[in-house]
Amino acid sequence: MQEFLTYSIYGTAFFLMLLGLYAVLMKKNLVKIVIGLTVLDSGLNLLFVAVGYISGGTAPIFSPAVVGKHVIMTDPVPQALVLTAIVIGFGVTAVALALVVRLYRKHNTTNIDEIKNLKW
Amino acid sequence: MVITDPVYFIALPLLTAFLLPLFGKIYKPLIGIIPGLVFAFLAYISFDLYLNLVPGKPIIIQMAGWAPPWGINLVFSEFSGLIVTLITFLAFLVWVYSYNFKKVGFDNSKKYFTLLMLMVAGSIGVVLTGDIFNMFVFLEITAIYSYGLTAFYKGRDSAEAAFKYLLLGSLSSVFILLAILLLYKQVGTLNMADIAVKAQSIDPKMKSIIAILFFVGLGIEAEMFPMNGWVPDAYSQAPGPVAASFAGMLAKSGIYALIRVFYTVLEVKGVFDLLLIMGLLTIIFAEFSAMRQKHLRRMLAYSSIGQMGLIMVAFSFNTKAGIFAGLFLMFNHAIIKTLLFLSSGFLTYSTKQKKIRDLDGFGKIMPFTSLMFGLGAFAIVGLPPFSGFWGKLNMLVATADSNLYFVIALILLVAVVEIVYYFKVIGRLYFRQQHKDVEVHNPTWNAILAMSILAIVIIGVGIYPDLITDYLTKATNELFDKAGYIHSVLPNLSLN
Repeated sequence: MQEFLTYSIYGTAFFLMLLGLYAVLMKKNLVKIVIGLTVLDSGLNLLFVAVGYISGGTAPIFSPAVVGKHVIMTDPVPQALVLTAIVIGFGVTAVALALVVRLYRKHNTTNIDEIKNLKW
Repeated sequence: MVITDPVYFIALPLLTAFLLPLFGKIYKPLIGIIPGLVFAFLAYISFDLYLNLVPGKPIIIQMAGWAPPWGINLVFSEFSGLIVTLITFLAFLVWVYSYNFKKVGFDNSKKYFTLLMLMVAGSIGVVLTGDIFNMFVFLEITAIYSYGLTAFYKGRDSAEAAFKYLLLGSLSSVFILLAILLLYKQVGTLNMADIAVKAQSIDPKMKSIIAILFFVGLGIEAEMFPMNGWVPDAYSQAPGPVAASFAGMLAKSGIYALIRVFYTVLEVKGVFDLLLIMGLLTIIFAEFSAMRQKHLRRMLAYSSIGQMGLIMVAFSFNTKAGIFAGLFLMFNHAIIKTLLFLSSGFLTYSTKQKKIRDLDGFGKIMPFTSLMFGLGAFAIVGLPPFSGFWGKLNMLVATADSNLYFVIALILLVAVVEIVYYFKVIGRLYFRQQHKDVEVHNPTWNAILAMSILAIVIIGVGIYPDLITDYLTKATNELFDKAGYIHSVLPNLSLN
């Protein structure tokens, strides 16, 4: 059961990353591309958390209840990294959506094929 | 000497950038003055710290009192200190240049200076940090503010350029993050020196995967072929001083990250051969594209990519002569490209299309700016007595040392191509009849000051290269001495 859970989490993470990559590379709508970026980020974040998980571990909080006892804890570092990565992803998404608004106002479309004043 | 703490390089611009709108509420001109004071102060302390640096003893700061390998540390060594000094110096000059840029009103200059300060803080952070995840965070900070600066002018196609840059930048961040994740899974640490110690135990196949992920991710930031589609658009759509700071700071921090990862953190067989091949492809692609460009800025952007390719080739030799040449080229590229972008900002100011053919006869009506552009062009193609000559000469010597004669032939061929397209512009500036009814925008006094300082540096180093060779040699030794880096970050570690 545990094994199945672990592999399904890894599988979901890779699936999300591939899905996001597909959207970024193949979709024509700017908003869908931005959504693809966020899905890609989520997959990566899930992978990060999965890597930090130690089987049977509890939350890595040092409290009087665990002092002196043999307690398995999950690795706190990837969780801290994921928090940072989520914040960065949020910032990038906000900037991306602001740019999409600017592009839509200028070109009156969100289709990437119709926006090519610069050579793509 | 009061302050010896490199943390100011990151903390001070971050703090003042967010306080800048408040200062603007008190007294409007403070928006322009405060960034200048901050950049001047940073340039002063970086020169001071760098000149007083004891060889072999880098300044290492532990953040929040956690000793490495647990906490984040900042390393101000001969190599990183050199790049930080260069970045702060250029940031100050870019401020001098753009202090009273006319097109920019109060609201715009508030945004501009806030974004510029944050970008400078980010690129200094990339160079100083000794923690690989922290490096990723600073790369992202730099990237996000670069998107903002690229999209600065609303009239142009800047949003399109910025969106393209954002797409590639996000993919780059995914690659870097994935590489860091795999690396962490293997060694269980994020400190660069600690990774360098433990990296020997990683399975070679895993190591190659990590190396390729880093290579692609950092290659996008360092303008490597074929991931550099964003460069010409971003450079041509961003405001002039921003393009200059992209060439001087952003590209420098990108290549620094690439070099630091492959020289110090991860030793992977074959990665330098890959760097050589990609560097050569970058040079060929960029220089031949530059020749076909009709827009001045795009031409300069492609030329910038070509220079970055040359720097990559120099570092790929993995010899002391190669690193020395690479550092010299980095210095030259930062100084000369900044001058070229700053002068091109005024040359194309009045022309709507910003095309090269609009510049006929500008040598007569804008003598100073044209002279500066010509000087920069002569320097970048490597003519004596400018600093570009010594960079190219050292590069050829290093290539000959490594017995790569086809690379020498290629570098010389590319130099000819460079001469063709730069002299095409100079020919139009000086030997053509000017178009009728051209508007002339003479540079402001502060722009003249900024360009003159850069020109003096270029000529000074060109006539007397010993001014910097000493520091470059020290930086070379620091980068080459991996054990020394590890030992100075982790003094208690016994290298058994």
